[in-house]
Amino acid sequence: MRGVMLMSGGIDSPVALYLMLRQGHEMVAVHMDNRPFTDDSPLEKVTDHLQLLRDRFHQPVPLYLLPHGPTQITLMRNTDRHVGCVLCRRFMWRSAERVAERENAQFLVTGEALGQVASQTLSNMRSATAAVKLPIVRPLIGFDKQEIEAMAREIGTYAISTRPGLCCQAVPDRPATRSSLLQIQQAESVLDVNAIVDDVLRRSTVL
Amino acid sequence: MTYSTVKLCSSRGAYEAAPQPRLELDLGSIRDRLVAEGVPVVDCRVMLLLRMGCEVTLGRDGRILLKTRDAEEASRVFEELCRRLDLPREPSSVKG
Repeated sequence: MRGVMLMSGGIDSPVALYLMLRQGHEMVAVHMDNRPFTDDSPLEKVTDHLQLLRDRFHQPVPLYLLPHGPTQITLMRNTDRHVGCVLCRRFMWRSAERVAERENAQFLVTGEALGQVASQTLSNMRSATAAVKLPIVRPLIGFDKQEIEAMAREIGTYAISTRPGLCCQAVPDRPATRSSLLQIQQAESVLDVNAIVDDVLRRSTVL
Repeated sequence: MTYSTVKLCSSRGAYEAAPQPRLELDLGSIRDRLVAEGVPVVDCRVMLLLRMGCEVTLGRDGRILLKTRDAEEASRVFEELCRRLDLPREPSSVKG
């Protein structure tokens, strides 16, 4: 089976990728490049995570680098900031699904675990993933943070993930922890969603 | 109201300064003023992204994020931004 993995540079996603590779799946990585709302460190971390896991599993794992900063600017200028994290995730999923179509992948993978951050409540995950049709695999969904960190240390990705970096500056002061699909669709109705995703894919690079 | 310190943020990737109490800045007029002075600005409505040596994020509530891990550069850019925008501050204090 071939899957597309969303990689952030954080602690969770390389552990999720490790579990998928260990099961023998063929994986393609996607990193949503959030500059200028972060710095170069997430991309550097993702590159190092992938190198470590490519060497370990002798698998190429291509990395799609997709620009996400311009989408964030569009969201900030045009939509309700309160649901910004959910809208942001929907565009990440859509972009990853386009990569999956291009790569003949059958599923999407994320390092999400329930309840760690605002975008990871059940209602927000539902609102976010309703934007795509492919099945989404969450290898870490039932683990708590300590368990994930222990796995990350064991496989060697923890030290990379915890290097100095910059958190996302586009996170609103009080992000919604509960959202309805109707509310999200209304917020998005002012956007030309397909044009935004087309532009992201047009400007993608493969590393 | 004043900025008292510029400190390394929790993820150690940048320096930040926050006024106490928080402000309500008119980002539109700040954008126009900085652009007129030749500072590259991206207006995101709820924040401005500036380039002044390092990248700077200026929030509507006055929070400033200086995207550098160099304390001297952070201090220098912070002082310049305060001077350009007439932002009140105590004598510079940078915590690394």
